[in-house]
Parts: sequence; structure tokens; C-alpha cells
Amino acid sequence: MALAQSGWKLSYSNSWVRVVGVSRRSSGAAAKPAIFQASCPPPSPAIAVKIRRKCLSNWRWTQQPPQLLEDKKSDASFFIRCSKYGSSIGAASNTNSGKGYLASTDQELMSQCQMDTFKASGPGGQHRNKRESAVRLKHLPTGLAAQAVEDRSQHMNRASALARLRALIALKVRNTVDLDAYSPPQELLQILPQKSTIRGSDCGPQIGPNNPKFILGMQALLDLIFAVEGSVSEAAKFLGLSTGALSRLILSNDSLRLAVNELRFSKGMKPLK
Amino acid sequence: MKLSFSPKLSTFLKPSSVTNLHRSFCSSSISSPPPTSLKPQTPLFLKPPIHSAASSDLQKWHDWAKSLASSVGSTFVDLDNGPDSTLLCREIKWLMEDAIEEESEGMENNQRSIRLRVALEELYMLWKQRVEERRPFQYVVGCEHWRDLVLCVQEGVLIPRPETELIVDLVGDVVLGNEGLREGLWADLGTGSGAIAIGIGRILGTGGRVIATDLSPAAFEVAGFNVQRYGLQDVVELRQGSWLEPLKDMEGKLAGLVSNPPYIPSDDISGLQAEVGRHEPKVALDGGINGMDDLLHICKGAASMLKPGGFFAFETNGEKQCKHLVEYMENDAGGSFCNLKIVPDFAGINRFVTGFHK
Repeated sequence: MALAQSGWKLSYSNSWVRVVGVSRRSSGAAAKPAIFQASCPPPSPAIAVKIRRKCLSNWRWTQQPPQLLEDKKSDASFFIRCSKYGSSIGAASNTNSGKGYLASTDQELMSQCQMDTFKASGPGGQHRNKRESAVRLKHLPTGLAAQAVEDRSQHMNRASALARLRALIALKVRNTVDLDAYSPPQELLQILPQKSTIRGSDCGPQIGPNNPKFILGMQALLDLIFAVEGSVSEAAKFLGLSTGALSRLILSNDSLRLAVNELRFSKGMKPLK
Repeated sequence: MKLSFSPKLSTFLKPSSVTNLHRSFCSSSISSPPPTSLKPQTPLFLKPPIHSAASSDLQKWHDWAKSLASSVGSTFVDLDNGPDSTLLCREIKWLMEDAIEEESEGMENNQRSIRLRVALEELYMLWKQRVEERRPFQYVVGCEHWRDLVLCVQEGVLIPRPETELIVDLVGDVVLGNEGLREGLWADLGTGSGAIAIGIGRILGTGGRVIATDLSPAAFEVAGFNVQRYGLQDVVELRQGSWLEPLKDMEGKLAGLVSNPPYIPSDDISGLQAEVGRHEPKVALDGGINGMDDLLHICKGAASMLKPGGFFAFETNGEKQCKHLVEYMENDAGGSFCNLKIVPDFAGINRFVTGFHK
């Protein structure tokens, strides 16, 4: 892929970096951010463990712009499976399930991340006037990375990168779902349309895709859709919705749509449109 | 000069601050009109969008600006570690963000026209200044985005650096579990644009106050403008004077003391990146022979200013100055400080010294 070769340096100057991991506006391989070339089939959990460990030891950079080689390795850990009681991979996430990451405060999440900035050569501080305020966050327990370059201050880029990281965790970190005893968690009920038959009146108004809280519900929805292997009609039954209503919910968010369609593609199913 | 009285500007200010701003600037200009150069200039993004240009003409400007940026290549990087074409191109985007009124497209004589906050000819001039004179981008647009703030800056006032953003976080950490510090009196010495003082003023408790000092009349005016813009005139008090001099009545009363004083060794000034060395105020950069004149001066006064348990954080030139400062505070300051720490900046350079008064 052309983007893979151009890598970090080039993406730095391109406006599409803006959409890393969050709202890829166009579909197809060309629009995929370099750090997630996820169109390869998901590795088996065992392979993912191995690769991820390798990544972790390789990811101990802080000062250098990441090497493309490392990016490629980290791509392989695209699917990360967690149980409700903890991740099945890696010691670092034993106490923290995928849902736990999203429930953490910004500060807690930040403490699990390695922050990479474009290190200035030279002494920095008063010596320097270059508005290079790009921030890249690497979430060590999962190996996911998010970046932001378009804001004009370091602080804002960090906030943007963190928001992107949350979206990525929701999209990429899967919790196992017990379908026999399934009842949708509150955060999922909150993003469902009012007409859902299992949605109680205590859920409040529907949380839309632009609300930061949507991400938590999105993660739970993807957990369910993965558990039913991509079947929207099956998932809809669990949620008290018609297939059409659930499809519309999925299509309301670009990254959610892409994640579901990627799964459906891997199962030989037609994409939602 | 376009000053802040235009009705358009007031719409950008918080309602509470408008009248105060108006009053304070009016009254000061009536009683003793300062030289015009000291008056805060309206930054580009706050100017009224009274100009317009055909979109094709703006496109022409954009193409020209990009080709000028591209012609730089890595010349400035090689010369003095200045900006390269990529960075300059991003600045063009930001310049347009500030110059163009959003959603302003209209039709004029069958052509799409765009409303601008500056005439197109001036936009040509501004970008020429940026590239050919190496005028700092922040002076060109009259502001700097710092933390979640947009601070006005102009010639004569140091542009706040991204490294310095961390001082506010350091203060945020210590006030979090300490009411005495959160509700206490703080001082920012050599405040410049007012960046640190405003950043701290926004995280202190309702009883917390910040006194910001600066010797430079230009900085004093600009900091005042920024304080007003964020509606903090009841929280941040500005006092004009050198370092601790305007704080004589505060001895032993300060809960916290922060500063980013000039710390570049005099010999290094001539080799600075052109944007810095040619355009920013030397008085805010040059820290004397080893760069520590002002840092040591402030440290000497810190013990008498801080109350017991008071916190301080100072920015330095790097590892060497940090060590020197810690050594000084441990040995020469008569054991009046404790919990001394050296804190690195985001690039890993040991940048800050923090500690507490015993």
C-alpha cells in the first residue's frame, strides 16, 4: 500500500491524518490510515499474543519518530480479545478489560500510554519557535496508537489523540459475550433508538454518534455483533429492534459501519450500505 | 491603529468582560495615553471581516503562498534549525483559518466571494514577512494557541512555548489535594503574554488569586488584554515591575511561585533561530553569561516570599541549569526548601525545577 511506504513522516503533512481511526470518510483501502492496515484476516489469538509481546518490547521509544517497521508489526495485533474479567492476552491488562479502558478517566488512560511527540533537535524551550505540536499516543496494554497533528497546541492535540484512542479501543478491543445469558449493558441500551422493545424508559434520550458516550455503547454493540458473527438480523433480535433499525444505527457512524463491514467481509457476507 | 473598541470585537469577548475591558482601556488612554506601540493590537482572528476577495483571487494567493513556502525547502533547517516547507504549509492553513470568516461565501458580480478579516494585499504582505523576514507566525497572526487558550501576542512579548504548558499541569497536580494551595495566592514572575498566570488562574479554587508581574510595558498591556479576554480580571492581578519587586507586600504570603524567566546564555543569543533571535524580545531570552542570572535572582527571593508549605516551579534551559538550581537550593538557600524535583518536558529534556518551602 502506498501509504505504508510513505509512513509517518508523510502522513504528518496530509490532512487525512485528521481521520486516523475515527471517522474515515471514504471507504476502501486507500483511505485507511497507515497505522491500521487491518484488511488482513485477523490472526488467531495465540499469534496475536506473540506479536504483541514483540511489539511491546519494540515500542519503548519515546523520542524518535516511530519506525515504519514497528508500525507494521503492531498492525498484526488488530484483533484483541478480552473476556469480561480481563484480557486474555498480556500481563499488563490482567486487571483491566476492554470495557475498563473506556471507563477510565483521561488521566488513567493517559498513564497507560506512551506519548510520542516530535522531538525537537536542540535545546528546545526559549531557543525554539516551531509549531510542531503533533502528539502520538501508544496504548501499551493493547498496542493501539492514535495521533493528532492538526491542532495548534500540544494540549489540544493530546486531547484529540486521546479521544481517537478511545474510539479505537471501542472498535478494536473485543469482550466475549455469553449469548445464552445475554442482556445488553446500559451503555448499549442508551445508544439504541427509542423504539427498541427492550429499552426501558429509564435509559433517557438516545445517545447519538456525536456524543462522547456513544463510544462505550458502540463497543458493546460490536461485542454482540462479533458474537453473532456479523449477522445484523441475529443481533437485532437481542436488542429488540428490526434488522432495518439496527442497520440504520450501524450506518450512522462511519467507523462503526467500517468495523461491521470488515467483519462481514471476512465471513463472506455482503456489506451494509 | 485598529484597537479593541470596534463593536465586532466585543462579540468575541465574554459579556462580563466587555464593559470592564472597555472601561479599563478607555480610562487608561484618557488619563495618560501610552505610546501607540504599547497598545495591544487586535489579533487577526478577532478583526472584523470587513474585507472580501473573489475565491479565485484567494486561490491565487494560496498558490503563491505555497510556492513561496516550497521554495524554502530545507534552507532554514540547515541555516538555523528553522521551519521547513512542510511546517510553513501548515502555517498557511492556520493563517487562512484566522483570516477567513467561516461560512462566509457569497456571490458578487457572478463570482464567489469570501469575507476576510484583512485585505488580500495585506495577506500577501504578511506571508512575505513570514518567509522573507522570518517574522514569527504568531506575530503575523497576532496570537498563539497554548493549552486550550488562544493568547494574543505581538512584537515585544515573548511567544509562549509549548514546553511551558507543563507548568500549569504541575501546578494542577499540587493543588488537586491541597486546599491551602488551591485557594491561595500565587505569583507568576515575568508573565509575558500572561500565559502561565491565566492557565493557573483557571484551575485554582474560587478563593485562589494570581499576581503576574512583568517589567516590559508591552507585555503588561498584552497580558492585561489576555486576562480580560478570559474574564479573569478578578483572579489575575497585573503588576508592572522587575521580578519580585512589585510583591514587597506579599512576603511570606505566597502559596505558590512560578516563572519562565530568560535562561539562554548570552553567547547563544546570536546563533538562535531567526524567528527567535531577530524578532522576539531579547530581554525575555537572555539570561546572562551562564543564563542563570534571573533564575538565581528569583530563587534567592523565593524563600522569603513563600509561606510554609508553598510550592514553586521554574523553567530552565535544561539539565545543567536544573542541577545547578537544585544544588543552590539545597546548599545555599539554608535548607529552606524540600522535595526538590527535576521534571522533564515532553521531549525528555530536564526542563523544570519544582519544590516546596519548608
